[in-house]
Amino acid sequence: MKTVMVFPERCIGCKHCEIACAVEHSKSKDLFAMFSEDILSKPRIHVEEGEDLLTFPNRCRHCNPAPCIEVCPTGAIKRDDETGSVIVEYGKCIACGMCAIACPFGIISFGKTYEIVIDRDVNVKCDNCIERQKEGKEPACVEACKTGTLVFGDANDLIKLKRQSVTRNITSSPDAKEEPVIPENIVLWRELNKKYSHASKY
Amino acid sequence: MAKWTAEEKSIDKATQEMIRKAERDGVETVWDRLEKQQPQCGYGQLGICCKNCMQGPCRIDPFGDGPKKGVCGADADTIVARTLERMIAAGAAAHSDHGRHVVLALHEALEHGAPYPIKDEKKLKAVAKKLGIGIENRDIKEIAKDLVNVAFNDFGKQDEELIKFADSYANEKRKATWEKAGVEPRNIDREVVEAMHRTHMGVDHDPASLILHGIRTSLGDGWGGSLIATEFQDILFGTPQINRGEANLGVIKEDYVNIVIHGHEPVLSEKIIEAAQDDELVELAKKYGAKGINTVGMCCTGLEVLMRHGTPIAGNYLQQEMAIVTGAVEAMVVDVQCIMPSLVDVAKCYHTKIIDTSHIATFPGALHIKFDERRADEIAKEIVKTAVENFPNRNKQLMQIPKYKSEAVGGFSVEAILDALGDSLKPLEDAIISGKIRGVVGIVGCNNAKVKHNYNHITLTNELIKNNILIIGTGCWATACAEYGIFLPEYAKNAGDSLREVCETLGIPPALNMGSCVDCSRMLVLADLIARDLNVDISDLPLAGSATEAMTEKAVSIGTYFVASGIFTHLGTVPPVLGSKKVVDILTKAAFDVVGGAFFIEPDPVKAAKVLADYIEDKRKALGI
Repeated sequence: MKTVMVFPERCIGCKHCEIACAVEHSKSKDLFAMFSEDILSKPRIHVEEGEDLLTFPNRCRHCNPAPCIEVCPTGAIKRDDETGSVIVEYGKCIACGMCAIACPFGIISFGKTYEIVIDRDVNVKCDNCIERQKEGKEPACVEACKTGTLVFGDANDLIKLKRQSVTRNITSSPDAKEEPVIPENIVLWRELNKKYSHASKY
Repeated sequence: MAKWTAEEKSIDKATQEMIRKAERDGVETVWDRLEKQQPQCGYGQLGICCKNCMQGPCRIDPFGDGPKKGVCGADADTIVARTLERMIAAGAAAHSDHGRHVVLALHEALEHGAPYPIKDEKKLKAVAKKLGIGIENRDIKEIAKDLVNVAFNDFGKQDEELIKFADSYANEKRKATWEKAGVEPRNIDREVVEAMHRTHMGVDHDPASLILHGIRTSLGDGWGGSLIATEFQDILFGTPQINRGEANLGVIKEDYVNIVIHGHEPVLSEKIIEAAQDDELVELAKKYGAKGINTVGMCCTGLEVLMRHGTPIAGNYLQQEMAIVTGAVEAMVVDVQCIMPSLVDVAKCYHTKIIDTSHIATFPGALHIKFDERRADEIAKEIVKTAVENFPNRNKQLMQIPKYKSEAVGGFSVEAILDALGDSLKPLEDAIISGKIRGVVGIVGCNNAKVKHNYNHITLTNELIKNNILIIGTGCWATACAEYGIFLPEYAKNAGDSLREVCETLGIPPALNMGSCVDCSRMLVLADLIARDLNVDISDLPLAGSATEAMTEKAVSIGTYFVASGIFTHLGTVPPVLGSKKVVDILTKAAFDVVGGAFFIEPDPVKAAKVLADYIEDKRKALGI
């Protein structure tokens, strides 16, 4: 199973994935042309601030079974068999919001898309860039991510990466010199951010 | 994913060959790095990221849902205009600081005996006369000292008057336009400083006022710093005359010590060329088994020496890494501007030594032999000797020099054009008035890895000459044309019938090489002379400009001073302004009402050529010709 794994400790909040997502789902697929299109394409991935000024790129996890598919009264949400992605058939969506209620991650958003000419909002959540995937490309947000926060690949392979890092940490002797997973300056920057955020709270 | 092929990266065969060699040799090049940067930051590309204070960085949400203002309250219009203004200031600073260095070289020669004799006394007198400096019965050195002082004054005076160079070179109609718009540059450096002041946190927030000052800053470049660079270089090193040279990577010679001089300022490269002819050094090269020393140019330094000496030019901006990939370059000597720091890494794969020479440009990992005007000859010899001594380190297994090169006729300074036409621009003006030449488009330099190397330059030039439009130009455009054979008189067969006839009668190519990118000032001077002769403003003439593969901040400054000189100017790449509709409107529409010129953006060179040709026809109609 291929998935987009998130390594949130690497996210610096640049929102690069958001823009790339909007461009990918625009009619022209061009940043400069996008803003003069009749229907403005908007990001389907959301980088929002959490505790300590930390950020997390939140996108559809393409669950299986997917709560949104289960609750959709019109059968507008379905699974693409080839990629396993949860996709929306816009014409069938009645914008009732049941999917948003059921979604455990809060990533459903309603809006317009050039792909269907109707004067109402529909569920325009992440479609896992299935068109790109079928061309052998990564989802646009993954391609845009320059820090390695969003990584596309086989779920178990990516989890193994994480596991290996845990194993290394647990087994390494205190005086062992090893390549840091997060660069020193970024660790420092995060610590300072944490202090800023606490100072403004208390 | 489909591979980005060499044919898609460049239209030039020599470059394609070296791109493939770089891949085989495992060398990372500019295109690999661009690919790794994709997609690039949308906020940055739209110009809506502000880093001017430490409350930021702030970003405006281009989708309209999130923040519409930065922490201080600046909106997208302010942020985009500030960003653009800073780009102009940086570009103007680069050209003008270059100009200052040339004036300082002459000053050093006059006051401290630096080895720079005045090579072109005729030009010295002509410039002095234009500036109102007495020349009758005066010693050359005295005139030169006065000239140096006028230039110094334009860099340092504190009054509100227009700088002397712009005042003396621009016609009255143009100056009246500037005065009305309040964009007369008062001091070349001051406008750059004021640009930094205005864009500091909490100062100027009005996009129109910021752009007007951007215009003022750019005029200090075009009619100040760049103009001074050109004129003083001509005085010191000779005004270019029509000559022949060769261009492309094929000018690198297998059996010779190859030295590539790369960058922008000829103050050092002139000396390197002299040193490379030094008998002792040539003998030393022979001792090491070379047939001699082959000095070739790269980028605008290359154009400076091509224009003045017919020194072969190995390539333009996107070919700098390629020259090293030949494996046959003993030393690449760099000064300032458009030099990729990656050269040091590319050179590590071969034997090439990168030698940095400017006190303001140090490249980590390079050999540092810093330049000093007073010891110019000695330092130039040391550099050449270093290159010669590196010859035995060449690895023949890694050597592959593309055979491609083309001959090119160049050296079209305004003076050379006047000479060729019989001391008057009348033949050219008559051809424009009669319609044999519909108009003139000035195309300026840069390559940009985002554009297929040289494709826009060559396509736009071909399309325009087909429409009987004469092309003049500078910078990387000129090198592209030289490599493509466009600078050969016989290329006129590709022009429209009437332009072809004019070119064949005069024996000139349909596109004229006017030099390096600071030499864009030559185009302004030419436009000004034509406007004076026809008693109109530059903005009335059937002229247009284009920076079709624009990359640098210098190009932004050049584009702006073209527009501010009354010239409709095409950009083939998109500057970071599209985040503000207001700024785009000012640049592409309102500017016409203020300075008589404006920008337009069109990435497709064929479509751009159509717009430029239509504009020129409209101008002809308005003039009644």
